[in-house]
Amino acid sequence: MTDYFEVHARDGAARLGELRLSESRTTPALVDDVVSDAGSLWAAERDAPEGDENNLTVLPHRGFPAGTREEVKESFAVDYPDTDYPSAAVVASDAARKVGADAYILSDAHGFVGHAAAFKDSVIEARESLPADTALYLSGVATPTNVATLAYAGVDLVDAKRARVKGFEGRYFTSDAEYFLEDLDELPCACSACLGGREEFTREDCAEHNENVLKAELATVRRRIRDGRLRDYVEGQARHDVWLTAAFREFDQQYGYLEERTPVIRDSELTAATEDSLRRVEIQRFAERVTTRYRNRFDTPLVLVPCSARKPYSESQSHGQYHDAIQFRAHQASMTSPIGVVPQELELTYPAQHYDSVVTGRWSEDEKRFVTEVLRRYLERNEYPRVVAHVPPEGYRDIVERVEKEVDMPFEYTVEDHPTTTESLANLASTLSNEPKYRKREREHNTVKAIADYQFGDDAGDALFSDVDVRMTSRYPKLQVRDGDGEQLATMVPQYGVLSFTLEGARVWDASDAPTKRIEIDGFVPHGSVLAPGVVDADEEIRPGDEVVVDGPKAFAVGRAEMSGPEMTESTRGIGAEIRHVEEK
Amino acid sequence: MSEPSPDVYERGRGMDAHNKVMREIRGLKEKHYDPHEPTRVWIDEDNTPSGVYQSLTIILNTGGCRWARAGGCTMCGYVAESVEGGTVEHEALMDQIQVCLDHEEENAEEKSPLIKIYTSGSFLDEREVPAETRKAIAETFSDRTRMVVESLPDFVDREKLDDFVSEDLETDVAVGLETATDRVRRDCVNKYFAFDDFIAASEEADAAGAGIKAYLLMKPPFLSESEAIEDMKSSVRRCAEYAHTVSMNPCNVQRYTMVDELHFRGGYRPPWLWSVAEVLRDTADADAIVVSDPVGHGSERGPHNCGECDDLVQKAIKDFDIRQDPSVFEQVDCDCKGTWRAVVEEETSYAMPLAK
Repeated sequence: MTDYFEVHARDGAARLGELRLSESRTTPALVDDVVSDAGSLWAAERDAPEGDENNLTVLPHRGFPAGTREEVKESFAVDYPDTDYPSAAVVASDAARKVGADAYILSDAHGFVGHAAAFKDSVIEARESLPADTALYLSGVATPTNVATLAYAGVDLVDAKRARVKGFEGRYFTSDAEYFLEDLDELPCACSACLGGREEFTREDCAEHNENVLKAELATVRRRIRDGRLRDYVEGQARHDVWLTAAFREFDQQYGYLEERTPVIRDSELTAATEDSLRRVEIQRFAERVTTRYRNRFDTPLVLVPCSARKPYSESQSHGQYHDAIQFRAHQASMTSPIGVVPQELELTYPAQHYDSVVTGRWSEDEKRFVTEVLRRYLERNEYPRVVAHVPPEGYRDIVERVEKEVDMPFEYTVEDHPTTTESLANLASTLSNEPKYRKREREHNTVKAIADYQFGDDAGDALFSDVDVRMTSRYPKLQVRDGDGEQLATMVPQYGVLSFTLEGARVWDASDAPTKRIEIDGFVPHGSVLAPGVVDADEEIRPGDEVVVDGPKAFAVGRAEMSGPEMTESTRGIGAEIRHVEEK
Repeated sequence: MSEPSPDVYERGRGMDAHNKVMREIRGLKEKHYDPHEPTRVWIDEDNTPSGVYQSLTIILNTGGCRWARAGGCTMCGYVAESVEGGTVEHEALMDQIQVCLDHEEENAEEKSPLIKIYTSGSFLDEREVPAETRKAIAETFSDRTRMVVESLPDFVDREKLDDFVSEDLETDVAVGLETATDRVRRDCVNKYFAFDDFIAASEEADAAGAGIKAYLLMKPPFLSESEAIEDMKSSVRRCAEYAHTVSMNPCNVQRYTMVDELHFRGGYRPPWLWSVAEVLRDTADADAIVVSDPVGHGSERGPHNCGECDDLVQKAIKDFDIRQDPSVFEQVDCDCKGTWRAVVEEETSYAMPLAK
């Protein structure tokens, strides 16, 4: 039971939490001033601490520093008492176990912070063995340079011990570097400790400065988590220290750990400015779903076009020109780095309308390989009578030609020098001149079904909307899906490009062959939200932001998940899902 | 509290675990030693109750500590330096003594009045050093003034000590007490005897007309810097009641030990020399000669400060050993003292080491 820590928001493995002391603290944060250490059992016997609500009490412990062997950890393991005050238990990362504390301190942190692979292994092992709604505390390791990456990995609490000691050693930190104080002829900072100027600056001041910068960096990290943009920040900031770059790349290799914790929708921008962006969960997940869930339902040829800077693509000038040339005579898919391939039905779906990337026309081999692979898999799954590549020579053309060799479909190229020249657009229009146009109804139905495929699983679009005589009302992009009786089933949400169900829609979903993400709740009627303690069971596949059916003895509801399924089942605090519609049974 | 012999004493899960791990670690060592050579011998100068003497220190190779064969102390690598497989015969031990006498003749102008014999085990354990050999060694050194022999408290026996006392030697038993805190000795050092056994040994020595020199270990594994300092301050004061000399020595990182593994993985740092100085300064009023001999000072594997001031602080410690005047520590300072203070204040056993 966690009484004194709650996670309010998630950004991948990073969490915005609340340490609920008498004065509550938003995490990730420093906790030096609110930690009360009841002492080490190596040095002396200890009385059970009194504890109080003002402090996080570190229970009497035996710390196992880095390098302690398994047998010693087992034999000297401490029995932690159940407490009714905020408490932290000391554990080793590979011997972490649930003991009812609100926070867990990893005593071997000094051995793995600084070593990317060991850091990844230790944090993941600890995080996976400890309850999701408890705080992870790494003591004596945080610096202004590494703290963003610590938080990105899932660390909630840190202290300024190391930053201060480094200051006394004459090491001056900024968020991007560590300097020898004697090498600085001016202080690159304007914090209170630095105001006295270089001449007067002592090592005590340096310790204070380091703590100030660490605090400021943590505020940046919290802001970034709130915005859902910590990854964008870390990709840039971690560049300044190679072990940190190696560390987040190590986590990219642990797709399962990050994917479970990464929201499926966000309304914030995703900045793809580095090669590492290709390996982000959001990018990989989109490519994965487009190539394994999405299905093209148009009979027309495919036109491949380049992406545009403006999102959604259809609002850009270039795509307006393509549209005028195509005139509903072809299915359109945009090729883009780093997303891969975006079929027209998914142009609003996160992160297709949310990303921004650096466009220079110069493609790296990694980008080409990625988009080539996505396009190849896309064309293996979706058959077209013709493929028209309306793409510029640099990068795009190369990719299309690579794919052409591997798939059994006729390709045509319509661009002379640039896709928006009059000549190129005329080529595009004329190559499609004999093709029939598809109708608005077909376009709208296909869009809704494509989104359903993407959102709920392979063939979900047909499983949900084929049996009934579905009608569309309202205008794209706010399409409303109604059944034959006019009852509304779902609405397309323009800002995320996903469907949200009505109660009736949720029933259709629940009864369909499409995989349903269900939360089983206790005998109560949820209003507004379902709290984690009320969750009896939840589908393991639920991700933050997922559409969910909420079902219990007293109520049936539909809403949106705020945390992952595994987190819901093991948490005792926090909002599990926001409820949109509920009906008492 | 404790059992009389290390053979039967493997009590509790913690000690079982420590012993199992230490046996495995020691098993990694492959070197073997010649039973006719001492492990080490050197000439030094020592402060004793009867004054400062030139000393001949002998680390006798006796086949090693039997406790260490069961596993043994978490920081001690000496067992690995002993003869493989066990006992060293009387003749071989006497050969070792001869090598030491030769060393003395070559390296010193006169015979050392003080002879110190360590075995990294127990000189008074007759399975390590037979009675015949003990008596012969006592005779060999009967022309000297003082004699120190190392032993675990279990083997301190007035009749054995009488071999030396009867030769008119001022005799001391060096006991590796390590700390007066039973809990730390048992759980961090993995030594099986209790402080009460040390008291009993001191009474036994007293009855034989011999004295006790207590050896303390500063900062065994699992203690933070401040815990280590506090442990030593109280230990010096407590054993000063039973020992006329206390040698308080900072832990160093020896190969094939648990401490070595912790150090290698980033979980152990030897104590600061400032900590040694702090304990000596603080306990200067204790009723005993308190000395310290930091081994490997200034190196990463030994007690060290920042690298700039290590020699200076070591020199002050050595000066204190001879003169017992704490004001010597007021003469040394360095920028790194601020770091040390911060470490003492901030380091906990769940987040260490805080500094290199």
